[in-house]
Amino acid sequence: MTFEIEINGRTRSVSVERIGETTGGAHQFRVSVDGRVRLVDARRVGASGLSVILPDCARASHDVGLAETARTGEWVVHLATGSLRAVVNGRRAARGGVDSSGSLDGEQRVVAPMPGRVVCVLVKPGDEVAPRQGLVVVEAMRMENELTSPKAGRVKDVQVAEGMSVEAGRVLMVIE
Amino acid sequence: MKVLIANRGEIAIRVMRTCRELGLGTVAVYSDCDRGAPHVRYADEAYHIGPNEAIRSYLRIDAILDVARRSGADAVHPGYGFLAENPAFARAVAEAGLTFIGPPADAIALMGSKTAARQAAMRAGVPVVPGTETPLGDEVTDAAIAAIADPLGYPLLVKAVAGGGGKGMRTVSAPAELSGAIRAARSEAGSAFGDTSIYLERRLERPRHVEIQLLGDHHGTVLPFTERECSIQRRHQKVVEESPSAAVTPALRAEMAKCAAAVAGAVGYTNAGTIEFLLDADGRFYFLEMNTRLQVEHPITEMVTGVDLVEWQIRIARGERLTLDPARLLSPRGHAIECRVYAEDPDSRFMPSPGLVTGLRTPSGPGVRDDGGVAAGYEVPVFYDSLISKLVAWGEDRPRAIARMARALSEYEVLGVKTTIPFFQWLLAQSDFHDGRFDTTYLDRVLAARAERSFGEIGDATEDVAVIAVGLHAYLRAAAAGAGASALPSGWRQTARLEGLRSS
Repeated sequence: MTFEIEINGRTRSVSVERIGETTGGAHQFRVSVDGRVRLVDARRVGASGLSVILPDCARASHDVGLAETARTGEWVVHLATGSLRAVVNGRRAARGGVDSSGSLDGEQRVVAPMPGRVVCVLVKPGDEVAPRQGLVVVEAMRMENELTSPKAGRVKDVQVAEGMSVEAGRVLMVIE
Repeated sequence: MKVLIANRGEIAIRVMRTCRELGLGTVAVYSDCDRGAPHVRYADEAYHIGPNEAIRSYLRIDAILDVARRSGADAVHPGYGFLAENPAFARAVAEAGLTFIGPPADAIALMGSKTAARQAAMRAGVPVVPGTETPLGDEVTDAAIAAIADPLGYPLLVKAVAGGGGKGMRTVSAPAELSGAIRAARSEAGSAFGDTSIYLERRLERPRHVEIQLLGDHHGTVLPFTERECSIQRRHQKVVEESPSAAVTPALRAEMAKCAAAVAGAVGYTNAGTIEFLLDADGRFYFLEMNTRLQVEHPITEMVTGVDLVEWQIRIARGERLTLDPARLLSPRGHAIECRVYAEDPDSRFMPSPGLVTGLRTPSGPGVRDDGGVAAGYEVPVFYDSLISKLVAWGEDRPRAIARMARALSEYEVLGVKTTIPFFQWLLAQSDFHDGRFDTTYLDRVLAARAERSFGEIGDATEDVAVIAVGLHAYLRAAAAGAGASALPSGWRQTARLEGLRSS
């Protein structure tokens, strides 16, 4: 089976073939990443765990945790050195949300990610804003959280004021 | 004896653990969304107190006292946050004939006013940061405040009298900024604390935050502990604490401990409390404020002194005498570090990351303590603080404690929500942190300097492993979904069967 796997902005073609059983419930797989073939000994551990031993490099043992995110085909991969996101067959699956390249056409609505209170509005209608510039500070979960602009543009519409309580999903402002 | 814990999450479990060791019954309270929370499942008894919003559940004094009555609880532990520093709660608990496991209501009220606390410190002969001694209410004009500010000098801080944790606080670098800062601080203080009074304090240049834990009994004994170093702060919130401080000598420790005990003694303080100081580069220290509760960072003190602070809170509340050896409390054994693990995304300006925890593996082994409050299958709610665990590492000395913390962080696996673990892994690798070269401005400065780079940066070799693992995972899922269980290799089928047995 072949998959397209996107990690850290790079998409790789990964082919997996099961060769046979090894020991202790593990199996040997032939895994090809962009044509480079490796033999891998792998065993699932629990619902979200995978123990991977790479026989060709000093039998390097890796303990991997995998969790599905809310986005179709997206997984969080957890390793001892950190975690990262992976998208499987991203081009084929219907993908909503924000384009990861950051090029956003048209109006973008800035919404409250969780219920909270507007502490401070940092911009006013007509302001030019840069990508990731702070727009509004919302207090939620006992923290002040700065929401930032998804793109370079102009503030079109500010729909909240300081002190207002907002529900999750409430549109705070629009960037055009 | 039965103890009601008027709190939730990791601190509720922390308190219940000691109660169980002491043979005391535990009573949990919960809001709608916390029905399945670990603190409810850990307790001996659990009672619903209201809807999700804290103001309608965990902050409801009447609902909590009603549970105390129905459950036959004898005592109430407030934890921290929520009602822990609300004098009306401490008073109501006592008036209901129950034991409040904490300081007297009067001491909470007195120290809750930052200006009154400063005056108490001055009366005890303890240095305070130069500033105004009385609250400046709404009636005091900006011009009058400017006249007070001039002799103090700039930069200075405008602070809320009822404040804490950086709320209602503004830095003023020059006289022109004063009016705006007063307006902002008053507005923030008004909505956060219902009190718009402010005061002024000179802003020290790059101080350290060093604090002294203490216990006081009802027989006149106050015992100070080895200091905690809490200078690693993000926007005035502590994120990493350690004990002892790399900047404190035994002589300075003795001096700070003496001053802390003097402040507590002067206000008739009992139970657990903490005196916070600012320490400047020349080794001069100044009283900052007193926290009239158990603190989030209390485990590091427990690790280096071997004392269970919650046990002593309970024993003091029962009227017992402090029998701890004072010299031992000021002679730390080894070094301890705490990382506050939050459900926050460090790559998105530490935005809260609530949601379902789908997988959880906590660190353990030599010298590691994880005071957690979540479990796999539990949803971190959007309604409360996002602290999910206090991870503590102990080592024979500071370098060993740092290495042990790094090892523990590498073992920690939280799936489903983002956490601050990658941020801590980055911080622990910084040479300034290793060398103990930091102050309260350090973290905000280095975070600003590293801009938008991800904390989860991973080398090429690890990235390859991740790609392979995801490929294997996708293959196994496709195999299972495509042809049913019979298509699974025998080994996988066996695993699935074993899991089925375990979960049934």
